Amino acid sequence: MNEIAHWPLLSTLLALPLLGALGCALLRRAPLAQHIAFVSSLLTLLCSLLIVGVFDRADPDFQLCESVDWIADLGIAYRVGVDGLSLLFLPATALLFCGAIVAGWRVTAAASPLSPGFHFAMLLLLEAATLGVFCALDTILFFFCWEFTLPPLYFLVSQWGIGTGRQSAAVRYFLVMLAGGVPLLFGFLALAFPPAGDAAPVFDLPTLLARPLSEQRQYLVFLLLLLGLGAKVPLVPLHTWLPPLAISAPVAVTAVLVGLKLGAYGLIRLAIPLAPIAARDLHWLLAGFGTVAILYGGVAALVHSNLRGMLAYSSLAHVGLVLLGLASFSVYGLQGVLLQLLNFSLAGGGAFLVLSFLQRRTGSTDVAQLGGALRSMPRLGAFFLLFGLAGIGLPGTSGFPGELLIIVAALHDHTGAGLAALFGMVLAAAAFLSPFRQAFFGPANGPEVAAADDLLPREMALLLVPATLILGIGVYPMPLLELLRPAAEAWVAALAGL
Amino acid sequence: MSPFATIFAPLAAVSDVLWLVPLLPLLAALLLTLRLLLRRGGGDAGEPLTAGIAGGAALAALLLLVLLDLAALGGELPTHLAFGDWLRIGAVPVRLSFVLDAYSLPAATLVTLISWITIRFSATYLHREDGFQRFFLGLCLFLAGMLLIVLAGNAVLCFVGWELAGFSSWLLIGYAWERPPATRNALFAFITNRVGDAGFMLGIGLAVWSVGTLEWVWLAGDGSMGKVTIRLLAAGFVVAALVKSAQLPFTPWIGRALEGPTPSSALFYGSLLVHAGVYLLCRLQGLLLQAPDLMALLAMIGLLTAAYGSLCGLVQSDVKSALVFATVTQVGLMVLCCGLGLFWLAACHAGLHACWRAYQFLLAPAYMHLVRQPARPLPRWLANWRWGYTAALQRFWIEPLANSLLTRPTLALGRDVRALDERFIDPLLGAPRDDERSAASVAGDELIRGHGLAGRALFAFANRLQALENRLLLGDGGTLGRHLRQVGHYADAVEALLEQPRYLMLMVMATFVVIL
Repeated sequence: MNEIAHWPLLSTLLALPLLGALGCALLRRAPLAQHIAFVSSLLTLLCSLLIVGVFDRADPDFQLCESVDWIADLGIAYRVGVDGLSLLFLPATALLFCGAIVAGWRVTAAASPLSPGFHFAMLLLLEAATLGVFCALDTILFFFCWEFTLPPLYFLVSQWGIGTGRQSAAVRYFLVMLAGGVPLLFGFLALAFPPAGDAAPVFDLPTLLARPLSEQRQYLVFLLLLLGLGAKVPLVPLHTWLPPLAISAPVAVTAVLVGLKLGAYGLIRLAIPLAPIAARDLHWLLAGFGTVAILYGGVAALVHSNLRGMLAYSSLAHVGLVLLGLASFSVYGLQGVLLQLLNFSLAGGGAFLVLSFLQRRTGSTDVAQLGGALRSMPRLGAFFLLFGLAGIGLPGTSGFPGELLIIVAALHDHTGAGLAALFGMVLAAAAFLSPFRQAFFGPANGPEVAAADDLLPREMALLLVPATLILGIGVYPMPLLELLRPAAEAWVAALAGL
Repeated sequence: MSPFATIFAPLAAVSDVLWLVPLLPLLAALLLTLRLLLRRGGGDAGEPLTAGIAGGAALAALLLLVLLDLAALGGELPTHLAFGDWLRIGAVPVRLSFVLDAYSLPAATLVTLISWITIRFSATYLHREDGFQRFFLGLCLFLAGMLLIVLAGNAVLCFVGWELAGFSSWLLIGYAWERPPATRNALFAFITNRVGDAGFMLGIGLAVWSVGTLEWVWLAGDGSMGKVTIRLLAAGFVVAALVKSAQLPFTPWIGRALEGPTPSSALFYGSLLVHAGVYLLCRLQGLLLQAPDLMALLAMIGLLTAAYGSLCGLVQSDVKSALVFATVTQVGLMVLCCGLGLFWLAACHAGLHACWRAYQFLLAPAYMHLVRQPARPLPRWLANWRWGYTAALQRFWIEPLANSLLTRPTLALGRDVRALDERFIDPLLGAPRDDERSAASVAGDELIRGHGLAGRALFAFANRLQALENRLLLGDGGTLGRHLRQVGHYADAVEALLEQPRYLMLMVMATFVVIL
């Protein structure tokens, strides 16, 4: 075991999808490229599981650290490592990309003039960049990976998207994210250069975490980072890119995009611990954004007729819960937040994967064009129901423990916001079950729906993985919570120690 | 030592596997789900096994409970059992704990017994129905949920059962899923119940930080809680109880919930689920007794619901509706009892009523054969009281009222929010519009076009810059251009000089001087 721990596992994790991407780009023939893509994503998943296995659960510090100088004069280095906060995002990411690649198996040929190999190469590049965000321990490396998620997504959406609005949705996403990158970079620079003196700039995250900033500087950094990360989270006035993107992007890509909450991770990893005093003073800002997101997303999801748009707005409400849990700065609040994020990777990602299968069969995910889909696709409907129920936090699914912890934490610290979250519970149930009823229940509507095939064995096997995890965590959440505890305690202790 | 004690004392060992009681139906549900997914057990041949799995689980749970009952008669049973932690909310553990007291044991036994009978009944009642397996899956989930509600030793575990029962009720009301009214009613019932669940969650949240425990046994606190805290805490649970027991103003959902097959109606709205609220109130008596005004409110609601149920029941024209309003009336009386502090009476009433109503509901499909006289006419006083008659027939307009006060404004708000997104936030952020429209606008002489406030501002700024640039540099009369050209001439001259070797040497030497 020890020998494995000395192997640069994280670099291997990042290199595997990159190698796969290279292979896919070189071998453009569709069958070969998709096999390479699948194998490399599977290897990445195995590697991420190995990392989880090697990880020392009792240690709250960064582990498996690697460091190679990159721009030595400025102190910028390739530094990676994981701790309990980021650990579980690695297998979640790898799993979702595995799913996205299987879901994009044969749909890529017709849509775009570019070769399918390019499609898979872009997906794998996106995977590498996303994993990089979760592993990075250097603010510049973080920024690099953060921005590097944009080009692959742009091509994926604009080339293999759905409908006429895909170009504008892709451009809009690209521009909003690029604009968000500016405050983020300024925030990192404000962190790196101490206000007085001519010391060398610091981009090393552990060093930055150990070094207290002046209070004024903290406010600046916190607000800059909140603005920069907020575009991706998304915070409410900056969210308008999400629904059009969820509707126009290839559905499997949406699973990745919505399922992985990079923005929320950025808040946990960077914005709050790097500017603790400011974050604690501005807790009302986080709670306020959270409350608005819960109500806004819940209400908007109610009236969306497209299942993908509905899920996009629901995810906004989920993010609201996450912000609310963060604003409590308590151990169980943070545990709830992490659990909720993982749950959303499984449930949201799974739901979008199901919708990608549905889209391929019926050519639409709009409830007006569906109806009665349960007759021809009972298994597909059952899986969608399970993922949706996990999304609304039904006990017995992984959605419940996280939601419970967050709501208890919110009721304690921000009672009004907690009450709003309770109202959001009702809204979320209505927002999911009402379109579910229209899409899957009732008499069959149209020949495409009636003639559609149910899930293939391959697709079933793919969906069974998140489904099992959802039920497993839901029935007995304690081991997972214990796994998250040391890092969560350290996180809260660092905040409270001021 | 009584003779019971010596005989039944060894049976107390059964309590070590108490967790099996709710787990067995849950496992049965899992098994049925797997069979459904793998498409096994369809058709006539699969029916006995399907019913057998469900019935077997119920019977096994029943046997365990009977053994426990006997052990309790011997007086050897611990009343509070815990099997490890399920979750931990900060310092407050949520344990897998159960209570075995005079409330929970009889209730659990009764629940399992009635469910088992209903399962046996349904095996023939639903013969050759399309959703045979689905129905039994729903029943198993319901039984598991109900047993958790009754046996759970803490609020969270009870809540798990609470929601499982609510979900299975959604599943069974929408049993005939191809009929839109059935699924619409299922949705209505689930959403209404969700309001109660939110109340339950509020109670849990308040309990964590005001009492510091979630175990029912200690939930009443040590008398040191503030008045407001006690009322808030109790109010959350009371709302949950009122919704589940279909008390005013949440009654309409139960009238709509009868869409499911008759055995499920018997189980859910006739006998068991509807009493869950009363059971919760009994569990909370320690807390409620500290809030007399809340008790008074409960009594009033119970009384009003009883009156409402009996009035509406009089004008119903079908068996199941009449029965369900009779149930509502009786449950209203139980809530009244709770409000008056007679919790034991409410519990006894609930148990007896459950048995009788289950029998009546199961018999309901055969009523037409059994009833020999014509139906009793409307009482004269109601027939003459036109306003009262209309109100009862319309069920006092509670549902339309809720629709126009809650549902419709929420939906309208949803549409407003989307409009806000599209008309206000998007333009402000400068999102590009859809392809067709922007294609038309780009068709002019412009190369690009800005959208929205941010885009237009940037665009205007760029235009202004370009105009400035044009004026200064590019035009013939540009002042800056003229000066620059002059500077260029000088630079040319200097360069020409520098190209000559002596100046080059001088430059090199000067550089050396500076460096050294």
